[in-house]
Amino acid sequence: MQIQDLPYPDPGVPDARSGPRFLWWLGRNQLRGQFKALAWGLLHFVAVAGLPFCVGLAVDAVVRRSGADLAWSGALMLLCGVAIAVGDTFLHRAAVTNWITAAARVQQLLARKAALLGSTLTRRVAAGEVVAVSTGDVEKIGWFVEAVSRFTAAALSVVVVCVALLCYQPALGVVVAVGLPVVALAALPLLPRATRRADVQREKAGRATELASDTVAGLRVLRGIGGEELFLDRYRRASQEVRQAAVRSARMWSLISAVQVLLPGLLLIGVVWYGVGLAREGRIGVGELVTVYSSIMMLMYPLRHFEEIAMAYSFSRPSARRAAGVLALERPTTTGSDPDAEVPHGDLHDPDTGLLAPAGRLTAVVCGDPDAAGVLAERLGGHPAEAGTSVLLGGVPLDGLPLDTARTAVLVQDKDPVLLSGTLRELLDVPASGDVDARDALAAAQCDDVLEALVQGSLDVKDPMDARLTERGRSLSGGQRQRLALARSLITDPEVLVLDEPTSAVDSHTEARIAEGVRRLRAGRTTVVLTSSPLLLDRADRVVLVHEGAVAAVGVHRELLHTEPRYRAVVTRETDDEAAHGGRATEAGRGGRGTEAAGPGALEELDRLEQIEETA
Amino acid sequence: MIGVAPPAYDPAAPTTAHTLPVGSPGTVRAYVAELLRRHRRAFALLIGVNTVAVLASMAGPWLLGDLVERLSDGAKELRLGPTVALFALALVVQAAFVQQVRLRGAMLGERMLADLREDFLVRAVGLPPGVLERAGTGDLLSRITTDIDRLANAMREAVPQLTIGVMWVALLLGGLVVTAPPLAATVLLAAPLLIVGCRWYFRRAPSAYRSEAAGYAAVAAALTETVDAGRTVEAHRLSNRRIRLSDQRVKEWTAWERYTLWLRSVLFPVVNLTHTTVLGSVVLCGGVFVIQGWIDVGQLTTGALLAQMLVEPVGLILRWYDELQVAQVSLARLVGVREIEPAAGDESMAPGGRHVHADRVHFGYREGVDVLRRVSLEVAPGTRMALVGPSGAGKSTLGRLLAGIYAPREGRVTLGGAELSRMPAERVRAHVALVNQEHHVFVGSLRDNLLLARTAAGDDELWSALAAVDADGWARALGDGLDTEVGSGGTALTPAQAQQIALARLVLADPHTLVLDEATSLLDPRAARHLERSLARVLDGRTVVAIAHRLHTAHDADVIAVVENGRVSELGSHDRLVEADGAYAALWRSWHG
Repeated sequence: MQIQDLPYPDPGVPDARSGPRFLWWLGRNQLRGQFKALAWGLLHFVAVAGLPFCVGLAVDAVVRRSGADLAWSGALMLLCGVAIAVGDTFLHRAAVTNWITAAARVQQLLARKAALLGSTLTRRVAAGEVVAVSTGDVEKIGWFVEAVSRFTAAALSVVVVCVALLCYQPALGVVVAVGLPVVALAALPLLPRATRRADVQREKAGRATELASDTVAGLRVLRGIGGEELFLDRYRRASQEVRQAAVRSARMWSLISAVQVLLPGLLLIGVVWYGVGLAREGRIGVGELVTVYSSIMMLMYPLRHFEEIAMAYSFSRPSARRAAGVLALERPTTTGSDPDAEVPHGDLHDPDTGLLAPAGRLTAVVCGDPDAAGVLAERLGGHPAEAGTSVLLGGVPLDGLPLDTARTAVLVQDKDPVLLSGTLRELLDVPASGDVDARDALAAAQCDDVLEALVQGSLDVKDPMDARLTERGRSLSGGQRQRLALARSLITDPEVLVLDEPTSAVDSHTEARIAEGVRRLRAGRTTVVLTSSPLLLDRADRVVLVHEGAVAAVGVHRELLHTEPRYRAVVTRETDDEAAHGGRATEAGRGGRGTEAAGPGALEELDRLEQIEETA
Repeated sequence: MIGVAPPAYDPAAPTTAHTLPVGSPGTVRAYVAELLRRHRRAFALLIGVNTVAVLASMAGPWLLGDLVERLSDGAKELRLGPTVALFALALVVQAAFVQQVRLRGAMLGERMLADLREDFLVRAVGLPPGVLERAGTGDLLSRITTDIDRLANAMREAVPQLTIGVMWVALLLGGLVVTAPPLAATVLLAAPLLIVGCRWYFRRAPSAYRSEAAGYAAVAAALTETVDAGRTVEAHRLSNRRIRLSDQRVKEWTAWERYTLWLRSVLFPVVNLTHTTVLGSVVLCGGVFVIQGWIDVGQLTTGALLAQMLVEPVGLILRWYDELQVAQVSLARLVGVREIEPAAGDESMAPGGRHVHADRVHFGYREGVDVLRRVSLEVAPGTRMALVGPSGAGKSTLGRLLAGIYAPREGRVTLGGAELSRMPAERVRAHVALVNQEHHVFVGSLRDNLLLARTAAGDDELWSALAAVDADGWARALGDGLDTEVGSGGTALTPAQAQQIALARLVLADPHTLVLDEATSLLDPRAARHLERSLARVLDGRTVVAIAHRLHTAHDADVIAVVENGRVSELGSHDRLVEADGAYAALWRSWHG
């Protein structure tokens, strides 16, 4: 796999039974790349080790005052130099390619898993866990998978050099062959502690960053009310804790560096002591002594890979386990048997509550308990989190349909719809019937000022459709976000549209116009709105009161307001609150109170009711 | 393959308008100079221990060269014992000082980094409320997360390592000069290659790495969004689109990886060949010099080993140099915040009463476009005024002027005769508070979340504030009472509870005038009943200016100001305005349908 061919058309089916199996699977899938890295690595490391021989030859030649031999050693050195450069460059290319292809594959697998699991994912694992895999673990997994071939090449070349030294100068070679492994592995016992301290430092740094960003996120509150010093002090403490943890961690690493200087140095001294003795006896040449000395200096480089692979493995093991855990998740319910099932038409009926939404009409549902409303909305779409009696659309149970068909038939816009980042055009480009124009939907949802705000917040953008939304639409106000989400749902134009409190953050003035717009745009289509807003209720063809899990009353808004006290209690909540909001008792007899949607015709009737309520 | 062009799409390019300034080169330089001055002792210490470590590391080659010289002369007396002892001593010194170098480097880096991030937060927290209100917190947030992160590597590693690397190279070259001056000259043979190669590389590398990092972050961000929006993705059947988007992000990211890999494919051979050239020229030229009798074999050996030692510090410099360049951009973004005037305010300005008065006020966010025009208003102490009008008419802006957050472009907004915009923000907020839809719960204990409003308050006061807003019930039910950790990652609070905390803060801060910008409108209307009761208690006895999204709020106010098109078009009580049959009456009727 080359980098320019990424992404993988199909990243494959991972072996996610366990962390090590997943690592093995990734490595197996890039064998070619691994062998490439191994081959270039061997060339590189062996050439690096060859350089000291050249230096030794040159010194020997000089001692013998031989210009020709000196030239030869120079040519050999050049050859080694070229081999080092080529080997290093191509080893790096192969290794980075291995890293990137492994990381890209895991990212693609995660994206597929997340997209297909949808709402199931966060019910099974914390959202943060998935994100942590993507942001932190993928790098470590890729690192280990890539480092394997580099390590193998380094290990092989250390063996080759030791064997070569044994042949070249057996007496000194033995000292090196015995000493090197000790030197290579000496720092290993210190590594776990160092990495643990590094983990502590990272954790503290994460906490400090969280505090800082949290303080900044709430900065307007702080500036408006006070307490800056309190939060600054808190952050300073966290920041100093990070510093101390970092220094603690550095203490360990600096100890490791000292060991890495001391042990090879001791080996060098041993070699010099022993070697000089040998040279005096005339058993080795001066050049050979220099060769052995400088090859030990050079060998430290491949030896570092022994530590690296140990660290890479200890880091990547938990990462691979986490990634495998996420990738092994599956949808709990069987998603329907018939893949070609057609989208059913007709009335939407919930046998559980008895709720009926007639085809082609606008039904409003009032539910006293907001949590129950959310559960009901989710069930109306089919395939809910907790399986029960299925909702029927045109007599067909939605839970029995394939998930995709059920979602095509019924779109449930939950209370907190998420705006995905990207341009407005991308946001509104959702699978749709194609019958509703984006312009009409935006107009129905009263999005004019949203478009204006988007253009103003962007760089060099004229057409609002090219304006970019930040993540979750955070640059917009709550009401603006709600209206955009509504427009998106309207564009989809599903057979049945279920809206849960679609306008709770919108001002009354605009809400009334939205109610009218939605009604007009959804004419002839089945729409269910869960709400307690009189403005929306008043425009519904049919209003259903659901009380304690069952339909308690059916009618139209104005009628229910008078006949159904429980309905009135929920809907005219605003009447009480208005009093509360104003901080004073209700003044009876004043026209128009709490009847914002009831219309002038019902005013007197309501006043009478209010008075009854107050005297009660 | 000859060369790879940089990809056309740059994920690091800004897409949203800059809301806060970016530091000029001058500001950045001044800041760096200040940072260096503050840490000059630590720098001196680092340089000191590093010098010892490097000098000790040169003992080996020297002693070996000496031995080689004597061996090749066939000298009888090698004095091997003292030489080995010296060697061992140098080694121990080197090991000890290398340990110190790593440690001192890290301590210096960490201290500078801590300074930097704390400085930034101090600055951010001191920003004038008007700037925050206008700029939002998004830009600041990205500075304190992304930019601090990028700087962390630079401060923690790049600055100390570069200091060490540069000195190391200098000392090794110095060692060469001392050993054999002619050898030192030969090292320079390799310099042109290195300089040309590095210039080519460093012109391209920093921005390419920035784009690459942004590209990789975008891959993770796409996934994060998919996870976060799980329900929406499923409901709208966006799975395939999300997968395609993630693949697209992978493609964009890897295109940059491919480009930076190409950059390194040029740099690596250059660096490797430089090393070989250095070593080769020292050995070959040195060999010729020896044969010519200009230097001896021992000098040659020492020189060759020193040249070989150059590999590590040169690698160190190359490795960290681009990190430093990337860091410059982040640093400019961090110190940019320092360029905003902190709006000290006039300490002598103090209100002489509770009367809020706006006098012929003009205000606009952009040059030449006034959102408010010649607005005059008077709010008597204890009254409730409602601002109504269509979205975009300027209600919220007027509210922020009355709360002293913005300064009028023309005219005056006064509290008790003193101009609000000239008072320090700390004094304004003792009198006037803006309550908006934002009810941020800070990460930390419930106590911290309340204490910010009155830092000196005792637990009794905190509990009675909670009781005043009907929140003591659930608060007492929390596991650790006031010590319960709340905010993201802690005990999750409902939006209504978060709003109650915000109200309890108001009770503690106790300003006499409140500007309400639809404080409860984001809440689920079905859950807000008791909340409005809490709010009512907070409002009791205070002057209130309420920006009304819902007309029923207006209906109960003592005075209604209708804001239309940047002007106050009508002013009076509900009944009077309905009678007057103007814009308010029309709005009222249209609202009724």
